[in-house]
Amino acid sequence: MNLDHTLELLRQGKHIPEETVYSLCLELQELLINEANVSYVDTPVTICGDIHGQLHDLLTLFEKSGGVEKTRYIFLGDFVDRGFYSLESFLLLLCYKLRYPDRITLIRGNHETRQITKVYGFYDEVLRKYGNCNVWRYCCEVFDYLSLGAIINNKIFCVHGGLSPDVDTLDAIRGIDRKQEVPHEGPMCDLLWSDPDDVETWSLSPRGAGFLFGKNEVDKFLHGNDIELIARAHQLVMEGYKEMFDGGLVTVWSAPNYCYRCGNIAAVLEIDDQLQRNYTIFEAVQPQDGVGNAIIPTKKPQMDYFL
Amino acid sequence: MFPGTAAETREERAGMRQGGGENSEADAKGASICCDTEPKRVKVYVLENNEWKDTGTGFCTGEIEELRKDEPSGESEAGEGESGSGGEPSAETGKCAFLVVNNEECPAETLLRSKLEGNIEYQRQEETLIVWKDVDGHDIALSFEESVGCDTLCGFIVQVQRHVANNISLVAVRASNNGTGSVHEIIAGPVSLPSVEKEQDTATLMESLKALNENTAYEYLKNETIEFLLQSSYIDLLINLFNKAEENKQLKVLLLLSSIVKTLILYSNRDILELMVDDSHVMGIIGILEYDTEFPTMKANHRHYLMTSGPIFKEVLPLKNAELKELVKKCFRLQFLKDVVLVRFLDDHNLNLIMDILLDLETCIMSFLQRDSFLDRIMALYNPENVKENAELDDLAEKKKDGIKLLHQCVQMSKNLDPMEKTNFYKALVTKGLFNVLYYAFKMETDSNTRILATDMIIAIIEHDLLLIQNVQHEKLSQEDDAVDMKNDKLASSGNSSGEETEDMKLLAVLTTILLTDKSPGLRGQVVQALTTLLHPDGCLEGAERGYDNSHMLNKFNFGMGPDDDPGFATPADYKSDVTNPDLTDLQLKRYFSNFYEQIAPILFSPLIDMKNGATTTTANTDEQLLIHLVKMVSFICTEHNRMMSRTFILEKGILKSVSKLMEMNHIPQLRLTALRTFKNIMCLNDNYYHRYMISSDVYDPIFILLEENIKKDNLTVSCIQDFCKIISNHCIPTLGLDNNSPSPIKRSTNQIKKSNFVILNKYLVNRFFKVFSGYKDVLFLKDLLDVDERLSNLENNKNSSNTNGLPPFNDEEDTVNMEDISMDSTDHEANAGQNKRRRSAEYDSFTAEMT
Repeated sequence: MNLDHTLELLRQGKHIPEETVYSLCLELQELLINEANVSYVDTPVTICGDIHGQLHDLLTLFEKSGGVEKTRYIFLGDFVDRGFYSLESFLLLLCYKLRYPDRITLIRGNHETRQITKVYGFYDEVLRKYGNCNVWRYCCEVFDYLSLGAIINNKIFCVHGGLSPDVDTLDAIRGIDRKQEVPHEGPMCDLLWSDPDDVETWSLSPRGAGFLFGKNEVDKFLHGNDIELIARAHQLVMEGYKEMFDGGLVTVWSAPNYCYRCGNIAAVLEIDDQLQRNYTIFEAVQPQDGVGNAIIPTKKPQMDYFL
Repeated sequence: MFPGTAAETREERAGMRQGGGENSEADAKGASICCDTEPKRVKVYVLENNEWKDTGTGFCTGEIEELRKDEPSGESEAGEGESGSGGEPSAETGKCAFLVVNNEECPAETLLRSKLEGNIEYQRQEETLIVWKDVDGHDIALSFEESVGCDTLCGFIVQVQRHVANNISLVAVRASNNGTGSVHEIIAGPVSLPSVEKEQDTATLMESLKALNENTAYEYLKNETIEFLLQSSYIDLLINLFNKAEENKQLKVLLLLSSIVKTLILYSNRDILELMVDDSHVMGIIGILEYDTEFPTMKANHRHYLMTSGPIFKEVLPLKNAELKELVKKCFRLQFLKDVVLVRFLDDHNLNLIMDILLDLETCIMSFLQRDSFLDRIMALYNPENVKENAELDDLAEKKKDGIKLLHQCVQMSKNLDPMEKTNFYKALVTKGLFNVLYYAFKMETDSNTRILATDMIIAIIEHDLLLIQNVQHEKLSQEDDAVDMKNDKLASSGNSSGEETEDMKLLAVLTTILLTDKSPGLRGQVVQALTTLLHPDGCLEGAERGYDNSHMLNKFNFGMGPDDDPGFATPADYKSDVTNPDLTDLQLKRYFSNFYEQIAPILFSPLIDMKNGATTTTANTDEQLLIHLVKMVSFICTEHNRMMSRTFILEKGILKSVSKLMEMNHIPQLRLTALRTFKNIMCLNDNYYHRYMISSDVYDPIFILLEENIKKDNLTVSCIQDFCKIISNHCIPTLGLDNNSPSPIKRSTNQIKKSNFVILNKYLVNRFFKVFSGYKDVLFLKDLLDVDERLSNLENNKNSSNTNGLPPFNDEEDTVNMEDISMDSTDHEANAGQNKRRRSAEYDSFTAEMT
């Protein structure tokens, strides 16, 4: 597999052969199996929220935030579903991870599961692009190996969804055998599904998975683990980011004009060596193909039909 | 303009009601004037100097007057609201309509005679009031005694609007739910429709667009517009305008046309959508939608794509039924609209509508296919009896490949159908000869893609009904056998050529062979999915979601299972019990699984069995990815199958020893961890036999070698082992009475310390790996194991000073003690069971979720 060539194809949104995807996924398994449930990351680093298959916006993200050659990134999950280029977006991140293992940390989002991708687009996208679901299967195997969180300079905890009543300490997360489909309950589920809200204590989440947690829970977690900030994604923020609970938690959202219609802007959060927060916001731009022609993002139609 | 705001009206109404009530006895004698509606008792008010003046009480009728003398007076014309057929208004132009009120005291005296004309807007305010301003500017209000009376006259106004005076309108005004404002709803009135001029400029189109948009606001206007769109050839007109505009490069016109078509789609009307995708309109509509105000400088190339590079409608064999062909095309085009052309435009409502239409069309196609001979002709391609006939066909190999694609597509399509329809369709497939197709795919064809599609078909069918293929095939063969004895040949020719496996194992045997021989990773993944579905005792892996599909089988399959099985599984009414063979018994199912363990399992797990028999662990034909699948499968049969049956097999064949070896350093980490998880799952079963076996065979040894390799790291391996150790120490806590929630410290009549499987395991591990554990005392989860051991020893010394043996003996006496322990400490047991189940289901999810 020629990584540069594959990267070029991906940037242009072109078809990647099944064998390439397979070997890429295998290599990623080997790489990710050596990563911790909560990866250690050093500053400076740029935290990115949901991507949701918006390949062209992901390319914009890299462009606006320094690029993977110069910048360290943490992606908070939800690479796939909704957008029309889930596969390309995810594979692009995998290729970067393979090329610059120390520059990219990939955290699992609630969409990185078999069950969710079957409903929200990734599975159908693969079926349309390949005529069978093999490639989806390969990617799902990689999902199982993704980290559950990251910790920056021991001070900033990054996770896709939020906190869990079963997780008081970061060490509690280390004890999870993460290589599994995201369960419907328990700490692993909560980390990927929970949301912050204006609540007194742990409350039922309207999502049907995870919990709602409030300032009390955040303060307790920050204090108990001696950290300053929880950086998470998981919820659309029209302004791209939103700090809550006196700055103890931030939601970062990185899919501009979500679903090609929400009209929101996107943001990434750069953490410098002094742990200062610096937000970069960006909008959806007219996507282009590899040679600079403007294109309209769309789904690939199904393959030939018979009867 | 009209009398008052809603609030004002309510006041007025209250006053009028009172007035009406005073005269309520006097309604018996109806005036005998010629009328077109029943007379209804009413009070008449007119507005004078901003005050409503009561001008009397009487009976109100709606009357139609013929202007042309040569025609008879159209009495029944507008009498009953429903009778109007919406016919041609032109025929009725010679009529006038009036609202007439005659004084109840003196029927000859007319209190009101008001013509329905011009663009008068009649407002029905709440239930009993009709208010309007006539063409001379008088504000008039009729307050009816009963709402039924008001209904009648409103019905009259609607008819008049339709047939006599098109420009009048009737609007219902109600106080809104929150009481602060009022809600207007048009009941009848003139509808501004888009222009149907052959030539139109941007201004006209803009107006049409505006009208079409506005008409979506009210149900009445919307329905009238839909009626217009379907009756007129407006869509043809748009396409003509589009063709001209595109030729003349009138971008503004093109964008307007696109907006108009999009607006029409927002009408969410099935007939309009179907009209748009029929043969004569689809290209035009798709062409128009290539232009988009959101991307004004660009144009999509859907038409070009469809006509050149796009999906092709392939006919493997000519489709003779024109109606079916039309359905298939329509289906595809709607899908194309949904997925490509309108993908960013459709909201959930519209999307659901299209999905509903698609489902309808697909249901039609499916039932057509069952009746039509088309599938029979396809299936005949694979029938070994037709070798000669088939040889005359061109591209037979290609046709067979495409035929499998076609069948696969049918099965994909069937996934959305309701369960009964699915059953029927699958039965038809099997009856028509699906097995020949599968036989061809797995035994003759070597192309992985074709095999993948064939496997996918099997999965769809068995996930729906595990025994369908088998039963239908069985019926078919026995029928054929009855008819002609020599047809036994057929049995051999349709896949049972090896003659080793019984009929019910045929599919499993084929899949096993593919798993062990085919190297395509995608196909393997799929075959594993098919195997686990076929071998799942619940008969359905997505039970919770689609339980209704398979519940009937669940009951029959769920024999002899341990207490861990979910008893709360919903079992809805067995409404399709006819699906499975009625003489299917538990016995048969038991035979099915024992056949599996006799005939299939020894082959399926042969790479693991051979390993134990001394073959090297890394032979060329057992690659690590295959071993990962097989080890997961071991975990699956241990946790899901009848305990005794699977355990006997696993232990007799020494499979766990092989799995243990796979945790050694010469294997890839993914495999090593998969093996470790298998032990974790088996350990969680809390099965005495397994526990004793695993301890006495030292299968845990490589875990701690693996741990030492990784102990300085923070990675998935350490997390996995941490989880493993945590399970053990957590299970020991209730035994030791350290858990505040448990009622312990254990009070027992005997001097025995309770030795659960986990306590024994903990002791064993501490003894065996004491050096490792004590070398890493800062590692919490290892320290926990040590702590547990220490406390256990203390407890033991206190309670039973005579028993100082570290490791309890594994003999038959111990066995009984263990059983007693388990049964007596119910909290412990329940906790274990619960945790086992959770853990198992989690791991199990990762193993099987691909099937969802």
